[in-house]
Amino acid sequence: MSQVEKNALSVKGLIVQFGSFTAINNLTFNASYGHVHAVIGPNGAGKTTLLDIFTGRSRARSGSVLLDGKLELTHLSEVKLALSGIGRKFQKPSVFEALTVTENLDLAFRRADRSLLKEVFARSDQARRDAVDGILQIIGLGAQRHAPAGILSHGQKQWLEIGMVLVRQPKVVLLDEPVAGMSDEETEQTAKLVRSLRSPERAIIVVEHDMDFVEQIADLVTVLDQGATLFEGDMKAARTDPRVLDVYIGR
Amino acid sequence: MSGLLKFSGRDRAAGPVIGLLLLLLVLSPVLGLHAIPGLGLSIYGVNLVGQVMCFALLAMALDLMWGSAGVLSLGHGLFFAFGGYLSAMHLLKTAYAQTHVLPDFLQFMGQSAFPAFWWPFGSASLSVLAIILLPGLLAFIFGYVSFRSRVNGVYFSIITQALTYTAMLLMFRNETGFGGNNGMTGFNTIAGLPIGGMKAAVLLTMLSTAAVLVVLVGGRAMLATRFGRMLTAIRDDEARLRFLGYDTLWLKLAAWCLSAIIAAVAGALYVPQVGIINPTLLDPSLSIEVAVWVAVGGRGGLCGAVLGAVLVNTLKFWMSAAAPTVWPFVLALLVLLVVLVLPNGLMDLSNRSRAWIAELTKGDVPGAKTVRRLS
Repeated sequence: MSQVEKNALSVKGLIVQFGSFTAINNLTFNASYGHVHAVIGPNGAGKTTLLDIFTGRSRARSGSVLLDGKLELTHLSEVKLALSGIGRKFQKPSVFEALTVTENLDLAFRRADRSLLKEVFARSDQARRDAVDGILQIIGLGAQRHAPAGILSHGQKQWLEIGMVLVRQPKVVLLDEPVAGMSDEETEQTAKLVRSLRSPERAIIVVEHDMDFVEQIADLVTVLDQGATLFEGDMKAARTDPRVLDVYIGR
Repeated sequence: MSGLLKFSGRDRAAGPVIGLLLLLLVLSPVLGLHAIPGLGLSIYGVNLVGQVMCFALLAMALDLMWGSAGVLSLGHGLFFAFGGYLSAMHLLKTAYAQTHVLPDFLQFMGQSAFPAFWWPFGSASLSVLAIILLPGLLAFIFGYVSFRSRVNGVYFSIITQALTYTAMLLMFRNETGFGGNNGMTGFNTIAGLPIGGMKAAVLLTMLSTAAVLVVLVGGRAMLATRFGRMLTAIRDDEARLRFLGYDTLWLKLAAWCLSAIIAAVAGALYVPQVGIINPTLLDPSLSIEVAVWVAVGGRGGLCGAVLGAVLVNTLKFWMSAAAPTVWPFVLALLVLLVVLVLPNGLMDLSNRSRAWIAELTKGDVPGAKTVRRLS
């Protein structure tokens, strides 16, 4: 990675332990604006734990995670992290099933400059409606806008949740296995969607097991193994790297 | 299937229920004060309606948390009784001002006057303030501690029940100073009307019915706002909402305190109607029964809570006179029926009947593919 690219997230010396198990071991990792950064690795490599650290679900033992090179994230609450510009799509689709697609997106449009009280009494102004409409276009759920999220297909729920993450315009978008359980066609559409999300104001980090999907979307691939970086580069090189092959096939 | 979902957001029974309540509000003075010759209710009858309305209020208080935010309290009797005790304190102070006879339980404790902290209860407006603020404060403290520690689901339910039980043990003690197991009784007048008389009964029944209407209509309006959708989101996936940047602690706490205040108001209206308060209201079995009313009526939207409370309590009043030994079995059967056939209570019956008929005529199995509003 060249030096001119701006880092959205910089992770340095990160250690995460659960009891005696070290999930992340002295990890250094950067995600830069304008890129889709894929994180892959065998089960237990620490991929989801890394996203948990970025979103405040787990706590680091030591090390630092900086947003834009200045804001230390490791001690912030889940809510503060979300408001400072980190958005995450969970592995299991997490949408509000009793609310309609539009209502889901409307709730997700949480402005960081507003207090919770103001948000409760916020009116549905034009900016809000435009933001929701824009996202409906992007995720292709315009026809389902008034349907309860509970009746959507698995793939549509995944897209809705991606939309809910995007509607706030976060700086960092974290996608945890966005194509898990999707059909080939849905996977193809999701790849298109993720590629279209690439923007100079946004860093995208994708954790995924589907290697073909990763190859389609990723500008950069980090292979984690036992909580540390094993490889960093493009997907083609990753596929021929002997260390990567070893952790995936060698065991 | 889409037919079923169309109704998921609103309750078709809401209009008729509100209409019936309005009718009740008009009819209770007409029938109670025998405005139409030959057509009237006894004091007992009017009183019964008022009591059932208080239970409907209590049920709505529970539904506000359980149906909307998915947080089940099995200790709402605590707030109901708290409001009741505060109301009783006001009534005793009023009675003392008229008779200058100190309540028995204070005499037995060797007191010659009311303890100093009773002073606000001499005033009706201060008493009303206390009925709103003190249970609200208790709910705030308990809710803050629980929700902050992320105590959820069944753990929260158990703690609420333990709290009620603790309060019951405390109030059973004479030294606590609120009448011990005998409770507080000997009320004289309310708003200048003799308690036990028809005018007081009509007044209290009208007040209780009006309160049910206000909470039902106001609560449903509130649930239709963004705040209501936030509560639904908490019920569906609280973590997701938190990761969207909402501090769910404050949202839950707001609903919880509101719910506690409604329960306290219900208790405060209930006590002058039954003429006594004692710690049995704090018995966990009452709190659990409230959950049964709501489950039978249907969670969410408050309408089911009113229906459930009215139907179960009417049945209870009738059965515990006609066949008292059978009542617990009937109640248990009712619960089983709801769990097995109508997962969202009687509201299912009204909300889904049309869709069921539509599906039946197409030959589908009713309810087989329904997406449930509540898990």
